[in-house]
Amino acid sequence: MDGTPGSATDIVADEIEAEKLESEQARALGDATLDVRTGRSPGRVAFDRLKKDKVAIVCLVIIIFFILLAIFAPLVVALQAVDPVTGAKADVGTVHTELIDFNGLPTVGMSASHWLGVEPRLGRDLFARFAFGARPSLIIGFSAAAASTIIGVSLGLMGGYLGGWVDKAITWLIDFFLSLPLLLVVLAVVPIVQLRIAGGNRLTAEQTSTIRFWVLIAILVIFGWMGLARLVRGEVKSLREREFVQAARAIGVPTRQILFKEILPNLVGPIIVSASIAVPTYIAFEATLSYLGAGLVEPTASWGRTIADAQNYFEIYPLWLWPSVIGLSVLVLALTLLGDSIRDAFDPTSRR
Amino acid sequence: MLTYILRRAGLALSVILATLVTTFVVFFAGPSDPAQSLCPENRCNAERLQAIRVNLGLDRPLTVQFVEYFKGLFVGRDFEFAGETTHCGAPCLGFSYHTGRSVNDELFTRFPNTVVLALMAAVIFTIVGITIGIFAAVKRGSATDRILIGGSQVFGAIPYYILALLFALYMVTFWRVLPQYSAFSEGAGVYFAGMIAPALILGLVTSTSYTRYTRNSMIETLSMDYVRTARSKGISERRVLVNHGLRAAMGPIVTILGLDIAALLTGTLITEKIFEVDGIGRRALQALFDDDLPVIMGTVLMAAVIVVIFNLIVDIGYSFIDPRVRLS
Repeated sequence: MDGTPGSATDIVADEIEAEKLESEQARALGDATLDVRTGRSPGRVAFDRLKKDKVAIVCLVIIIFFILLAIFAPLVVALQAVDPVTGAKADVGTVHTELIDFNGLPTVGMSASHWLGVEPRLGRDLFARFAFGARPSLIIGFSAAAASTIIGVSLGLMGGYLGGWVDKAITWLIDFFLSLPLLLVVLAVVPIVQLRIAGGNRLTAEQTSTIRFWVLIAILVIFGWMGLARLVRGEVKSLREREFVQAARAIGVPTRQILFKEILPNLVGPIIVSASIAVPTYIAFEATLSYLGAGLVEPTASWGRTIADAQNYFEIYPLWLWPSVIGLSVLVLALTLLGDSIRDAFDPTSRR
Repeated sequence: MLTYILRRAGLALSVILATLVTTFVVFFAGPSDPAQSLCPENRCNAERLQAIRVNLGLDRPLTVQFVEYFKGLFVGRDFEFAGETTHCGAPCLGFSYHTGRSVNDELFTRFPNTVVLALMAAVIFTIVGITIGIFAAVKRGSATDRILIGGSQVFGAIPYYILALLFALYMVTFWRVLPQYSAFSEGAGVYFAGMIAPALILGLVTSTSYTRYTRNSMIETLSMDYVRTARSKGISERRVLVNHGLRAAMGPIVTILGLDIAALLTGTLITEKIFEVDGIGRRALQALFDDDLPVIMGTVLMAAVIVVIFNLIVDIGYSFIDPRVRLS
């Protein structure tokens, strides 16, 4: 009934009905921003509703777990025991060919010194690859979502409020970007931008990976702002005709203040929702690009890259493939479901 | 009405033109050197490389190349290969640097595979998505509804390429439940059998969003007064659902369907790559790794044209349903 199985009890459902009725009353009074019952702001109302959503809490715990794993990856990896063969603790980058037999398969399995075993061919520690692999996904996802949100909101505000040729230009730009075959263009642009930056010099693997990292963020931002821009533009277009904005304009409030103090606070909901849904989308997209060969490259530990390499060994050594598959799926799933819960919290009418 | 259509068509044309210019600038002005990639290091001396460049027309100024390409699209152009002149007819996309075949040929022989895949997936996701959506809407609030919607939410949230990859690895390669893709020339039977696996996973994943659209749309329609009127007249529940509910609920879904099919025709790249279906997406991917500029240009242009045309059809179709759109 609310799109989140087994979460909402009847009490919650009743409360939502009640809140919906109240907010409808408030809207009828011509003031959508005021919650008549308690005087809470819409953001507060949404937050309170979110706290009662069990699925959202579970997702949040999972996301925080991955964030902590990424931040403290070196410490967590150091918890593994000293390897009896190599005589050292495993780290993320060191190649141990002594742990590999002549077929390229590992001679050690899951053990205290290698919680997830070691990588075929190179003998690097798979748990370390997994823990460090969470880093690029999270950094790219969150920073690209933040940047594209800022661009989307700015362009949407400009187009919607200024109107005229600015609006026409921005609308056209949105249409244009939406008509580009996204994946194809992105795949083609990544190596070109990389070559432009490198300027023909031969790059080491580390340099290539660093460049790819920033190019990926830039590309996700460049191709990801349109949806929010279109949404904000539409909302602003209708808000600027509302009485409170006209009143503000009539008493001579400067444009900047109207935009940021009068209009923007009304759009906090859609903006947060859009940003929270953008994060998992970008993480999945980054992994897809890495899988197709246009994303991150070795030696950076990345789940998408690992999945691409490990798929050829899925029959003989599934332990290489599965941690990354599960990590990526669970992280994206948790972020998406949390995004859905946030959307439901801001828009109770979507919970039916 | 006519001015609206003309205005939308003009806008669509300008978007296509801009795509043309942008892709041209990005790819042809890009730093990649097709001559070098045709001729791996140390194989060719400088003279030979220069000869290849002249042959491909890469030695001329960019504007000249662009005018030539543009001319080729509308009136056709002539190519000279080793003293022999080949004419390339009206929507001329040039010749592949790698295979030497015309790009039109390269793309149009593969396009049917992409179309078959997209349409089979579309049949699966409309049938599965709409059926489950109606079912969930009718059983609204029950445990069945929650399981169906929750399940589709979870299934739809996992990155698509992972699902497709696991499906291909285990169902096709490992357990051999479903057959591998084989070309049409090996017989229609095996061809369509091989398409089942990619179409199934693509269709099932896409169906999750249709389940939710249909459910929401149905719930909205079923709460309308005229549905209550129909029920109170004693019409059977089945007829109420199909004739009164579904028909009205389908409007927004058809719109999304139009856009999704356009997206599928251009976006089955991942599916084609994972299941090794020989469609335009996979060809484009190959071209990207070969620096095969004419083929990349051709696919990007073709995809943009498809998306823009479908957008136009949906917009115009929608303006017939809802006349208010025309005024905005």
